[in-house]
Amino acid sequence: MKLLQLPRAELRRQLAGAGVWLRTGPFSLKVQSRIPSVAESLAKLYGQFEVRSVHEAFADFHVSVNPPANLRRWLRPQVNFSFDGVKPFKPLPLVQAYPMLEQGLNWCVSAHAHQYLVVHAAGVEKNGRAAILVAPPGFGTSTLVAGLVLSGWRLLSDELTLIDCKTGWIHPLPRPVRLKNESIALIRSFSPDAFLNRTSRDTAKGTVAYLRPPKESVRRQHEPAQPGWIIFPKWVADGEPQLLPRSKQQSFQFLTQHAFNTSRLGAEGFRVCSELIQQADCYDFQYSRLDEAVAVFDHLATSAATSKAVN
Amino acid sequence: MTHASLHPPRLLKSWGDEAVVFDASSCNTHYLKPLALMLYQTCRDHPGYTSTDLGVADSPRIHDLTAETLTNLRKVGLLESA
Repeated sequence: MKLLQLPRAELRRQLAGAGVWLRTGPFSLKVQSRIPSVAESLAKLYGQFEVRSVHEAFADFHVSVNPPANLRRWLRPQVNFSFDGVKPFKPLPLVQAYPMLEQGLNWCVSAHAHQYLVVHAAGVEKNGRAAILVAPPGFGTSTLVAGLVLSGWRLLSDELTLIDCKTGWIHPLPRPVRLKNESIALIRSFSPDAFLNRTSRDTAKGTVAYLRPPKESVRRQHEPAQPGWIIFPKWVADGEPQLLPRSKQQSFQFLTQHAFNTSRLGAEGFRVCSELIQQADCYDFQYSRLDEAVAVFDHLATSAATSKAVN
Repeated sequence: MTHASLHPPRLLKSWGDEAVVFDASSCNTHYLKPLALMLYQTCRDHPGYTSTDLGVADSPRIHDLTAETLTNLRKVGLLESA
């Protein structure tokens, strides 16, 4: 059963009670919240995701977002994120409840899913090859990801790329894409049909909104993808798109710096990274206009598919 | 005299004349430029080499560059002084 098949009132009732069981990529979640805006965003952004009875299914992560039990429930109201009853973060203003849930879920994965090399990177796929997009915050990665997935690329992930330590393939985690500040209007203008939830203002990242993942990406969320490219994107104000090869050593260093668990995985993490870099083409990519960026990526995917057919 | 630390094990992956090396003792990964890679591999393969053995004593500039690189390799724990 999909979450959108749950009547809204029933979703709110379950969410406020024992919680709702959701499958996102390789992980199952039990989410509990009494906050109406959380129910609203979940209904609108996770409609295509599988739900089951919370009483019958095992969940990897048990999380909740709720107001605290003290005065801050009413006075300048706040919200807490809780994982297995533990609150790993300081409370945030109530209006940031949904972004806090998303960030909390990212933390659950990056802090616990050590069967993967978890990289702070986005992933998209086309024609059977995946592009891993790695960049510091503010470099336009999520905007580029949104543009690509609204142009036919499959969303593998926005924030966390999961690399299987055994196969080296990327496991999808196609949760909503977080857009910040100017990117929100840009994506609305790029694709007027795209669904973004209600904006949350004054978060640590400014104003944020989440883009609903494409239906097809969610449908294929259990289908891993072979890495094809590692791309280091950067948005610049003016300029032609430029895709330039980047050295594998530097790519390796940058990738390990953006991985959450290389130290934890130790030698295995090094091996997984080495094999990933070995099989992928590495590029620096600079862009100003989203449509031009998409065209460059499409060309890359088409060239790879043609080369594969010839070989 | 300088030699590469024997334990714990290290993993090295090179592409062309550069490499990355994983140090299991610190769980750190280091990026080795061509000279650093050459010196690291030489010291690993020939423990106990001196700078004279390394053949860099004749040119002051190369000697200084080598000394600086060896110091950096020792600093990050990839080499040990004998």
